[in-house]
Amino acid sequence: MKTLPVFKRQKPAVISPAKTKDANYSSQWRLIYLKFKKHKLARISLVILAVLYTVALFAQFIAPYGLQSYDSKYVNAPPMGLHFIDADGKFHFKPFVYGLKSERDPETMRKMFVADTENRYPIQFFVRGEEYKFLGLIPTSLHLLGVEEPGRIFLLGTDGMGRDMFSRIVLGSQVSLSIPLVGVGISFVIGLFLGGISGYFGGWMDSVIQRIIEIIRSFPTLPLWMALSAAIPPRIPVVTMYLYIVIIFAFIGWTDLARVVRGKFISLKNEDYVVAAKIAGVSDGKIIVKHLLPGFISYLVVATTLAIPGMILAETAMSFLGLGIRSPATSWGVLLQEAQKIENVALYPWKLFPLGIVILTVLTYNFLGDGLRDAADPYKK
Amino acid sequence: MKRNKSFILLLVIMALVMAACSNNAAPKEAEKPKDNTDKPVETAQSDVKEAPMLTALVTAGTLPKLEERMPVQSDIMVQEVVDEIGTYGGDWKMPWTGPGDKWGVGMATEEALFRFNKTGDKVEPNVAKGYEVNDDSTVFTIHLREGMKWSDGVPFTADDVLFYWEHMLTKETFGKKIYDAYYSVDPATGNKALAEVKKVNDYTFTVTHKYPNVQFLERVAIDNKWFFAPAHFHKTILPELVGDAKTLEITKQWGYEDPKVFLVETGYYDWIHYQIPTIRAWVPKNDPNSDQFIYERNPYYWKTDAEGKQLPYMDRIVMTKIQDPSQKLLGTLSGDYNLVTFDSKDFTVLKENEKKGDFRVIPWTQPTWSSAGVQLNQTTPDPNLRKLFQDIRFREALSIGVDRVEISEIVTNGLADPIQASVPEGVIGYQEGWAKQWAEYDPERANQILDELGLTKRDKNNFRIFADGSDLTLDIVEGSPDNAAFLELLKKYYENLGLKLNVKVVDSGTQFDLKYANKIPMHTENISVANVAFRPDTLVPLRVITPWFGHYGLYSSSGGKEGEKPEGDVALILQLWDKVKASKSVDEINQYSNEIVKLHMKNQWVIGYAGPTPVLITASNSVRNVPSNLVWADEYRTLGHGHPSQFYIKQ
Amino acid sequence: MLQYIIKRILLVIPVVILISFVVFYIIQLPPGDYVSSYSAKMSAAGDVMTQAEMDEMRANLGLDRPVYEQYFVWMKKIILHGDFGFSFNFNKPVIDVVGQYMGLTIVVSLVTMLFQYAVAIPIGIYTAVKQYSAGDYFFSGLSFIGMATPNFLLAIILMYLSYTWFGDPLLGLFSNEYVNAPWSMEKVFDLMKHLIIPVIVIGLSSTADLVRIMRGQMLDELNKPNVVTARAKGLSEWSILWKYPTRAALNPIVSTLGWSLSSIFTGATITAIVLNLPIQGPVMYNALLGQDMYLAGSWLLFMALLTVVGTLISDILLAWLDPKIRTEFRGN
Repeated sequence: MKTLPVFKRQKPAVISPAKTKDANYSSQWRLIYLKFKKHKLARISLVILAVLYTVALFAQFIAPYGLQSYDSKYVNAPPMGLHFIDADGKFHFKPFVYGLKSERDPETMRKMFVADTENRYPIQFFVRGEEYKFLGLIPTSLHLLGVEEPGRIFLLGTDGMGRDMFSRIVLGSQVSLSIPLVGVGISFVIGLFLGGISGYFGGWMDSVIQRIIEIIRSFPTLPLWMALSAAIPPRIPVVTMYLYIVIIFAFIGWTDLARVVRGKFISLKNEDYVVAAKIAGVSDGKIIVKHLLPGFISYLVVATTLAIPGMILAETAMSFLGLGIRSPATSWGVLLQEAQKIENVALYPWKLFPLGIVILTVLTYNFLGDGLRDAADPYKK
Repeated sequence: MKRNKSFILLLVIMALVMAACSNNAAPKEAEKPKDNTDKPVETAQSDVKEAPMLTALVTAGTLPKLEERMPVQSDIMVQEVVDEIGTYGGDWKMPWTGPGDKWGVGMATEEALFRFNKTGDKVEPNVAKGYEVNDDSTVFTIHLREGMKWSDGVPFTADDVLFYWEHMLTKETFGKKIYDAYYSVDPATGNKALAEVKKVNDYTFTVTHKYPNVQFLERVAIDNKWFFAPAHFHKTILPELVGDAKTLEITKQWGYEDPKVFLVETGYYDWIHYQIPTIRAWVPKNDPNSDQFIYERNPYYWKTDAEGKQLPYMDRIVMTKIQDPSQKLLGTLSGDYNLVTFDSKDFTVLKENEKKGDFRVIPWTQPTWSSAGVQLNQTTPDPNLRKLFQDIRFREALSIGVDRVEISEIVTNGLADPIQASVPEGVIGYQEGWAKQWAEYDPERANQILDELGLTKRDKNNFRIFADGSDLTLDIVEGSPDNAAFLELLKKYYENLGLKLNVKVVDSGTQFDLKYANKIPMHTENISVANVAFRPDTLVPLRVITPWFGHYGLYSSSGGKEGEKPEGDVALILQLWDKVKASKSVDEINQYSNEIVKLHMKNQWVIGYAGPTPVLITASNSVRNVPSNLVWADEYRTLGHGHPSQFYIKQ
Repeated sequence: MLQYIIKRILLVIPVVILISFVVFYIIQLPPGDYVSSYSAKMSAAGDVMTQAEMDEMRANLGLDRPVYEQYFVWMKKIILHGDFGFSFNFNKPVIDVVGQYMGLTIVVSLVTMLFQYAVAIPIGIYTAVKQYSAGDYFFSGLSFIGMATPNFLLAIILMYLSYTWFGDPLLGLFSNEYVNAPWSMEKVFDLMKHLIIPVIVIGLSSTADLVRIMRGQMLDELNKPNVVTARAKGLSEWSILWKYPTRAALNPIVSTLGWSLSSIFTGATITAIVLNLPIQGPVMYNALLGQDMYLAGSWLLFMALLTVVGTLISDILLAWLDPKIRTEFRGN
């Protein structure tokens, strides 16, 4: 009931243009926008996702170190604390980290790290570091933050090869946040198209498409990946290969959506307003776009937002099976796969940080989907 | 003399390694037994000579008395215990991945005719009671143990050896060619002659060679430890004796499809089939495909401890099927398994949990040349690449272009030394100074060498290309992703030299096919060899097996019909091997073997970036008598070298 | 309706045949065959096979024949003798291998599936009815976290926690002493204990999906005119909920139920490997890796059958659930 005032205020604005048809159309999206704005969690999620994608876009700039900065001195180092007050109790305006002293435990060979309070390394912004191409175009060596040599900054600790976890997570987001979109996009288009045809026209087309779906569903994917990974020559970069895998994923994954779309079409196409439109001679395409799709757009939104994290997770599973991306190329799946050793869970738990980021991403995608769903619901008040 | 010296060295080094690796655990182990020696002796001297579970069977009348089950008193084998006389009972609990993992338990329980002694330099009688050999090493007279029996109570005699020789080995029924050990070589012509095996009496047989075969016993101890088979069992299944139709019928009864596979399984992998009598300390009791595969003590086992107590001490081996290596680790930490072997990767986790998990980590050294390295296929088909791989300067560049300290610190967790692939000190074939050859990190010099080799042109990514403008890529084909960290580092160092490195991971089956097709230019396999004269596979190109010699091996095994004709030093190695085979004395053999190793040192076809790492035997603190200073080698049958029949569980 | 069902059932036959061939073809796609993976295993253990030995073994196993020929031989045996072939890895007929693992597979699958539906449907309804309440956020968040954590990692973490807290990582489905023991109350209890982690890990991942879909559907349905009308008529909230929106909302869940049947058999493969569950998934995974093709083929064929039959059941259920579709069938 609280929403009513909003409706009242908006309505005149919507109806006022002369071309009613277009106005109605745009009004739906506008309504969705207005309702979406009210969904707090969804808005927060959108902001977080925007931040994540921005970070991914400028990953090389934000990450203090590159993917190949192996260093035996800093193997399995725990996260460093940021300090303002030094060992003498003096306050520093600029946060700083201490140097690391390490030695192996002679008994267990475990590297033990002690903060070297003698050496302070204040955090500096816009420092020179490893060379890279900004946005893949402009060669530069400027990094957002860092500390002076020989100091190091490991905000989230290091991995088993002495690489900075924070840098790897940031750089890994480039793959993990982009490639799944491609996969979802492809399966969305195919699923919607074929599921729509199948449901709307029915008859033999329906039968054929349904049988195709059944056959695709029973494709054994594992040997397919194995064949693929053997067939692709090694010189193809792993990220490209992963893209291929995702595309194949998509060509199999559309069937879920298609089934549901079909079910929806079947149940909606006999609705009175659709039948009326048909009798009135409206073309099939128009009926689909104008009358049927809006009827279950909310489901599609949910399915898509659910599918993106699904793809992100599928990548982690592929890494588990030894397919997909391999280090030094990094994705979150690679990081999780590295984390899953008992050794890491037991001794170096900071290697589980990527899990937190994956959960955050999946959560935000889902809450965003929720918000969109609620906003798109035509009956919702 | 030389050999003795090297073994003393070996012992010293092992002692040092032990001291370094387990300075805490070792003294404890040494002390504890002392406290306890008195008590078990007292109980042992009461008349308990067999396990209670067997006494129960004897009392019930289902099993003959101990004396009737054992060989005659003088022929019983007395197995020395490592620390103390044990007590009966308990299970050896270990994980395995299923029948594919059969060698783990297979080697641990294996009973060879002759087995290697503790130091591994010669063999000692095991199933055999003893032997005599004539002066020119052509006639070996081998004695068996009178009254020894198979696990079903049927006597074990020379007939079991003869049957195996006549109906199985020489007929090649179980999928193996007649082993090389049985051929002697004419020193003059190089012709090979097959030995003759004759029965003298029930407990004696002879093996006669046409030409001297000095190392016959050692080579049998590697090629064909089980120079015998239960004749009374195989008589009932071999097609030669029962007819093809009957064999096929039995095959189907056992659940097998193909008689060939069936005969391999029964004739070669006999230790995982409960239907087949054995002379091992434990007898399988159920289907190896079960979730838990169980071995139970062999009531007819023919060894006792010094007090005459029949071995083994442990009642059963219980093997639980696992699917992922992490389960082995978790299960060991939580005490689900009490005697497990790990490779050095898990060193830190195991050590960190030693107290909590109430186990100890016992490192055994390995005779491996390296724990991380590359082999360059000398016969790789691409002519440009082959020329490069065959150029010793290129191998030097690859060797000094990598920082070994980083590799050993990151890849082996600091457990390995930053040294060249070389025979470890204390192992036969050790060469002074080899470990340091091209081991210093010197990228400038490496780049300079590569320039000198004519690889001065660069492509658009700044990678070196051949002088004729064709692409230069080093391809490594891996059969598993286990080596990922090393390969990443390698890629970084090579690419810093301007050499493009591609790593392709395929499944192990594909990798095997590729190896046969000579499509693996580079590989990361490490060389492990206890003594080249015993097992030449890794150093001498006799067949397609070790990546560095690629199709030179095919040339040898096909008799020159296929493959690549070896040239230069590789050809020299083959000649030396022929000399080893035709040698008349151990000294001669050692001299030629040493020359083979020296050629490897000179050429460094196998480049190592980190020294050997130990194998970690992880034993629950209640499991006793596990020796702590042995060499882990396939030749010595890995854990079997520690004689598990005398392991026992302290209650 | 009946006519429709018969038509649907008849259609299943050519589809299954087609699938069986596709499956058989695809499992042979990766390079190498059983012999090469077998010889690789042997060489890892120190036995090396020569080319001649490998060729002989291929000939013995019939692997040297063309794929279609192998397929026909295999199919002929299945149809005429019910013989699904032979598992190279297990040295046993395929049927025996499948039989060995079937019992526990069904137990794990059923318990997990029950857990999923028992948890997901009520939560889905609850979160829709009480949209934006604290409970909604709590349950939604929880189900997301379950979904967002990769199964294998969650499994490892839970096992490790179980080890640190209780000293037992709960590997497998039984403790060591019960694996070969006859069934008893203790063994059942032991099984239940060991089922906790798998059910949580496998169940949570798809529970989230189900909750989201259910919630989304419910929200769509809740404010539809029929519900509003029913409410206006004064029907009780509960009977309204059950009669209209819930039934309609179950629609997409039912339409994928058939598939979840087979995905529950195979989808848990990675988790089962990590948790050491003696069920079909890992067995099939190894069969595929080791090119144990009759075992892999038979299993995939069985899965395909399940998918096809599952779809069939879904179609029929869908027709029953949705009156609109029902009329359409009648109209046909």
